[in-house]
Amino acid sequence: MKSPFRAVFHRRSTPVERYLTLLIIGYAILVTSQNPRFFSLETVFDLVHEGAPTMILAVGVLLVLVSGGIDVSFPVVAITSAYMSIKLMWAFGLDTMAFMLPVSILFGTILGLINALLIHFLRLPTLIVTLGTMAVYRGLMAVLLGTSQYPVAQMPKSLAEFGLLDIVSVTRPEGVYGLSIFLPIVAAVMALTWFLLYHTMIGRSVFAMGSDPEAASRIGVNILRTRLFVYGYTGALAGLAGLIYYAAVQNVDPVALSGFELMVIAAVVIGGAKLTGGEGTILGTFLGVLLFQLFQTTLVQLGLASTWASFFFGAVLLASLAMIYIRQRRADQRNLVFRVG
Amino acid sequence: MSVPILEARNLSISFGGVDALVDVDLTINQGEIRCLVGENGSGKSTFVKIASGVYRQNAGTVAIDGVDMPSGDPGAAIAAGVQVVFQDLALFGGLSVAENIAFSYMLENRTRQVSMTKMSELAQQALDMMEVRLDLEAPVSNLSMANKQLVAIARALLLDARLIFMDEPTAALTRKEVNRLLEVVEGLKAKGISIVFISHKLDEVFRIADTITIFRDGHKVGDFEAGELTQSDLTFHMTGRRVEYPAYQRTPRDTDGVTPPVLEVRELADRGHFSDVSFAIRPGDVLGLTGLLGAGRTEIALSLFGLNAPSHGEVLLDGEPVHIRTPQDAVGRGIALVSENRQVEGLFMEQTIGHNISSTRLDTLVNRLGILNLHRERELAQSAVAQMGVNNRNIDTLVGRLSGGNAQKVVIGKWILTDPKLLILDSPTVGIDVGSKAEIYEKIQQLADDGMSILFISDEPEEIAANCNRIVVMYEGAIVNVVSEEERNQPNFVEVLSQMISEPTTRVEVDSAAQGGSQA
Repeated sequence: MKSPFRAVFHRRSTPVERYLTLLIIGYAILVTSQNPRFFSLETVFDLVHEGAPTMILAVGVLLVLVSGGIDVSFPVVAITSAYMSIKLMWAFGLDTMAFMLPVSILFGTILGLINALLIHFLRLPTLIVTLGTMAVYRGLMAVLLGTSQYPVAQMPKSLAEFGLLDIVSVTRPEGVYGLSIFLPIVAAVMALTWFLLYHTMIGRSVFAMGSDPEAASRIGVNILRTRLFVYGYTGALAGLAGLIYYAAVQNVDPVALSGFELMVIAAVVIGGAKLTGGEGTILGTFLGVLLFQLFQTTLVQLGLASTWASFFFGAVLLASLAMIYIRQRRADQRNLVFRVG
Repeated sequence: MSVPILEARNLSISFGGVDALVDVDLTINQGEIRCLVGENGSGKSTFVKIASGVYRQNAGTVAIDGVDMPSGDPGAAIAAGVQVVFQDLALFGGLSVAENIAFSYMLENRTRQVSMTKMSELAQQALDMMEVRLDLEAPVSNLSMANKQLVAIARALLLDARLIFMDEPTAALTRKEVNRLLEVVEGLKAKGISIVFISHKLDEVFRIADTITIFRDGHKVGDFEAGELTQSDLTFHMTGRRVEYPAYQRTPRDTDGVTPPVLEVRELADRGHFSDVSFAIRPGDVLGLTGLLGAGRTEIALSLFGLNAPSHGEVLLDGEPVHIRTPQDAVGRGIALVSENRQVEGLFMEQTIGHNISSTRLDTLVNRLGILNLHRERELAQSAVAQMGVNNRNIDTLVGRLSGGNAQKVVIGKWILTDPKLLILDSPTVGIDVGSKAEIYEKIQQLADDGMSILFISDEPEEIAANCNRIVVMYEGAIVNVVSEEERNQPNFVEVLSQMISEPTTRVEVDSAAQGGSQA
C-alpha cells in the first residue's frame, strides 16, 4: 500500500514536513475562526504575489545549505543584478522584460560564480566569503550605479506592468482579484530545481559534497564544478528574484532587502535543511516560506500588528529546532549514543 | 595457475628520508584471501596506498593481470579493478543506501540523468552478489557500523572490483557482525574476487586467510600459509620478539573480608538493557565483564558512570549506597571510565597531548583566582606521558596524529592522574597493535597490583583471560556465568571462555573444577 504522499513524491515524508503541514493547517483554522474571509482565493492570490521573491531566494538558499555552505550575499546579489539590469536598459533605451530578465539573471550568475571561485581557491568558510562579497557588491553598486530610488512613476513601465500581470482573475463585489504571473515562474523554478537536485548527477553531487566533501572528492566528485553550479545557480535565481521583487513592490530601491538574508535562511532551516549540509527538501523549504509569509500577511487578521511577525517566526524557529533536537537527543539516549554539544 | 591478479616487485618508498617500504615483492592470486599483518607503521597501509595508486613509489613496479600499472594513478588502478575500502569508509550519511552504492558507478559511467529506480536496481544487484539485504531507502547515517561496511563493499563491487583491499574492516564491529562480514568475504572469494584484509585481530586473520603476509619496519618478513603458523609465531614475526601476556594474579590482602569491596552492585537493572546484575570488586581485583553484542556490558559501565540511570538495584561504593547521576558525580567519587569510542568520547582530537592529559586535573592546576599554572600543567602531562610510555614524548603533538595505541595510552594516563578508586575500561585495545596492547596490559596489571579496582570490559577471550582474576559472562542483559580465580587458572581456560561467550545458552564447566557460584 502506497501512501498518497509517496505516490506523488516517490519518497517518505520527513518529520519536519509533517509537523509544518500540521502547524500551517492549525494556524489557518485559527485565523479563519477570527476572520472567515481569510479562507478564500484572494488570500492565496495575495500570498503568491507577495511570497514569490522570497520563495525563489529560498530555493537558492536551500541549494547552498544542502551543499554544506551558508550564503548571506544573495539579497545583495538579487538587488544589485536587478538594479544593474534597469540601469542598462535605460542606457540602451529598451523598456522590455525580454531585456531586463536575461540581463539580471546573467548578472546574478556572474556574481554567484565569483563567490564560488573565491570559496574554492581561498579555501575559506562560505559564510566569511559571502559576508565579504556582500559588502563588496553593495559598495561597488553604490559607487558605480548610484543609490537613487525610483518609485512606481519613475520605474520602467514594463517592470511595473509585469508586477500587475495576472494569468487568471476573479470578480468579486469588492473588486477584482488576479492570480499573478509570478505563480508559473515560481512553479517553474521549483520544478527545475527539483529536477536538477534529484535527477541529475550534478544535483546528487551537491548532496554528496554537503554530506562529506572529503569523501566526495575521494570518489571523484569534481568539487570546483559542483561549487560553480551551486553558487552560479543560486546567483541566477537571485537575479530573477530581484526583478520580481521590484515588480511586486512597485518600487526600485537599491538598498531594499538588506537584513533579509537571515530571515530567508531561517525559513529554509525551519523547512528542515541542516546547516551542516547534505539534508534538505524543496517541499520543506516551500512550507517554511509559506509559514513565514503567512505570519507576514495575516497577523493583522488576528488583531496583531504586522510587527509581531518577526516575533512569531522566531518563536516557531526555536520551537521547531528544539523539537527536532530533543527528539534526536531522546533517540540518542535510548540508544546510548553520546554526542558533543 | 593463471596470471596473478597483483604482482608487486621491488617496491620501495620513503617519506622525508624515512624508509616506509623497502624492496617488497608481493603476489596475490585470483580468488585468494590475503591478510596483511604488522604493527602500526610496519608498511602494510603504505603498500595498499601504492597498489591503489594513491602513493607514487620510489622504485619497483605493480602489475595487475600481468600489466604494469602507471605509478600514482588511482584512476588507472580503479579501471583495472582495484578497490580500497578505507577505514573511514567515505560514505554519505544523508544519502540513501542505494545512492551510496550506486554513486561511484554513475560517476564512473558519466551518467548525467539520475533515476532513483535505476539506482535501486544497481544497488540491489551489488547486494545480491554479497547475499545481504539492506533497506535501500534508509539514510546511511542510520545504519550500524557493520552495515555501513557492507555498503562500502557493495559500492566497490559495482565498480567491477576484482581485488578489494579492506583496511581494518572489523575494528569497530562486534563479534557477531565480524562473523557476518567474514561470511560475505568468503562468498566473494567463491566468486573469484581477491580480498586483501588488514587486521589487528589475529584470531580473525587465522580464520579467514589463505595466506598471511607479515610486515615489520617496512620490510616483508614473509608469506605464510595460514595453517603453518601459530598465533605466537605470528606475533613473534610481527614484533621481532616473543610477546607473552602473563596472566594477572591478585595478591591476597589483609583487608579482604574486613573492609567492604570498593564497588558492589546489587541486583542492578535497567529496563531493556540489563537486569539482576550483581558483582563486587575489591582493591586489586580486575573483574572481567564479557559477552556478545547486546549483552549489556557497555550499558552497565555507563550506569556506573552516571550516563544511564538504572531503573532498579543498588550501587555501593566502599559499602555506602550511592546514586551516581552525572559523570561529574562519578569522577568526584573516584570513578574513571575509558570509553569504548576513544576518538569521539575519550579525547579532544584537535588538542595537544598535554591539554588532553591535564583536562581531568584542571581543578588542581588553578590558583585561587582561577588562573591556570601552565608550567605545572606541562609537568603533569610530561609525567603522565613518561609513566604510560607514550611513544611520542612531545606533549605539544596533536592527539589526532597519534596511532591508536598511543592515543589510548593518553586516555588511560589522563584518568590515572585523577587517582581513581575504580577504573572502568571499555574495550580498551580495539584497533591497537600487538606491541601497544602488551604495554597497556602491563600497565593495567601494575595499577591493580598497587590496589586499584578495575572493571575490564571486552569481547576478546584472550584478553579477558590474561588480565582478569575474576570474570562475569553476560548474555542478553543477564549474567550467565561467573568465573572464580581457580577456574581462571585452568590450562584450557581461553577455549572454555570463548565457548561461554559464543554459546551462552549451554552451560559450560571448567574441567573438574568446582562450579562457580552465582555471586562473584
